[in-house]
Amino acid sequence: MLSNRRQFFAKAILVTATVLLLSPLGALAQSTANQSSSAPATSSASKDRWLHVRVISSDAKGETVRVNVPLELAEKVLPAINKNRLHEGKVKIDDAHVNDVDLRTIVDAIRTTKDGEFVTVQKDDCDIRVAKENNHLIVHVVDKGVREKGEAGKSQVEIRVPMKVIDALFSAGKDELDLVAALHALSAQGDTELVSVKDHENTVRVWLDSKNVTD
Amino acid sequence: MMLLAKAALGIGGTLVAAGAYTFHQGVLRVDVDEYRSGGSHVHMWVPAAAVPMVMHLVPTRHVRHACEEARDALPLVHAIIKELKKFPNADLIEIVDHEQHMQMRTRAGKLQIDVEAPDQTVHVLCPLSTIEDVTSQLEDHAPGA
Repeated sequence: MLSNRRQFFAKAILVTATVLLLSPLGALAQSTANQSSSAPATSSASKDRWLHVRVISSDAKGETVRVNVPLELAEKVLPAINKNRLHEGKVKIDDAHVNDVDLRTIVDAIRTTKDGEFVTVQKDDCDIRVAKENNHLIVHVVDKGVREKGEAGKSQVEIRVPMKVIDALFSAGKDELDLVAALHALSAQGDTELVSVKDHENTVRVWLDSKNVTD
Repeated sequence: MMLLAKAALGIGGTLVAAGAYTFHQGVLRVDVDEYRSGGSHVHMWVPAAAVPMVMHLVPTRHVRHACEEARDALPLVHAIIKELKKFPNADLIEIVDHEQHMQMRTRAGKLQIDVEAPDQTVHVLCPLSTIEDVTSQLEDHAPGA
């Protein structure tokens, strides 16, 4: 009886030791399976805000580029880049003038003014519209006569930026654009499409949502 | 029988402890296949925990040289990896055309880079914590650190 119990005990130890021995290999196999799995990423917590960029080219190569960046990551990483005009998340601009246009004054004027259309240009070859609507600055350009390599086509650009983001962008010093503050302001916005560009060859879309995968 | 069981338990326990320590950070995996005559085929599996240990064995002058070369990029890489650890399962970049497919994503806390082209295939899988350890070590060796 005692001998049977000893044998049973010895076998149990042997089995346990074997299982324990193989467990790291199992974990390893599991990690490899995860690596090779093509299952889509799970959605991240809804508090995470993601900036998505998608470029679809309809030329011969048919290239598609998808970039998904967590805004939090961009906010933390930008200050670590110190190159050329970019320092500590801020871009230096020359005296806030671009081609003799005082950007800061224009932004101040737009901020304080009521909703409305600021610029409307309608020509045979292009339409331009700059407006403020629901605290968003909207720039809409339609180029009707794009000619490249003898091909005629239509190009359309739509930019829609929340005013709070523009305010944050110009919140730094006189000659600086504060990208980190702009990203922070952007992260407080709801799901929104920021940029849309369409022409006969490319479609570009930049938008913000809480999903960590593109559609 | 009892002696055999004790020996198995001892050996098994040691192997389990060693295996658990070696693989607790996962595996660094590199697969490169070049589809041309004389093309190289590299398939490498390295326990991620071994990488920082191996770094200690690299001669100091080589580590210092690497630090100098990567001095500008190190803080950036460190910041990116530190933040990426908060997003363990994310598709970051994907470029597709008729011939090639490049993907960079995080899966289960590992950075995964896959490139598939007609002439070559590259798959790299590296735990984010390993990259962080290596960049930390390089930063420690940087001149003026």
